[in-house]
Amino acid sequence: MKNRMRVLRAEKDWTQAQLASVTGVSRQAIVAIENGKYEPALPLAFKIARAFEKNVEEVFIWENHTEKEAT
Amino acid sequence: MKYLTDRIACSGVNPRTAKVLLLTLLSSVVIDIGAIWALRHFELGSAARIAVALSPVPGKIAVIALILRAIRQLDEFQKRVHFEAVTVAFLSTGVAVFVYGYLQKAQAVGPLDLGRVWTFMLLFYAIGVFIARKHYR
Repeated sequence: MKNRMRVLRAEKDWTQAQLASVTGVSRQAIVAIENGKYEPALPLAFKIARAFEKNVEEVFIWENHTEKEAT
Repeated sequence: MKYLTDRIACSGVNPRTAKVLLLTLLSSVVIDIGAIWALRHFELGSAARIAVALSPVPGKIAVIALILRAIRQLDEFQKRVHFEAVTVAFLSTGVAVFVYGYLQKAQAVGPLDLGRVWTFMLLFYAIGVFIARKHYR
């Protein structure tokens, strides 16, 4: 799953620490999610999307590997 | 103290829980030292010695309860990190005890000191936290 967090954060001119504070998680969590190393559960994904005033699918891009392999 | 409280709190733990946990840990260590000192320096009867030896137990139970409370307040990512660290600590300590047992059978080492097992578990836990944080960076 890819995400647009880095771009959206830059648009808001937020640091990772500020986003962490807004969403109520640690900065390490934001770093891991932003780098695609950790996929958040739905409640956190919604919190992050709401922080950017976006829908979840505007922030997180689901890549269906089975679909990709089939094509 | 404030530095440690802030370090724990930045993982999502309530600052009050972090402060209470640190104070309870500190009190628990003081009780430990006091109990050891009393057992070494006082001529106590059998019942009194047992009572002094068990005096650190309530503090330890309080520490366990507070650590559980703190873990429940962690964010989902920190929970994952600590879960992996606990797994590393548990399995590595198991392997270390097995290896020590084989060495004991080979008469290469003396009897196992249980205090060292706890120290190794803490060491493996710290290594586990380091590995997990590095993995998700």
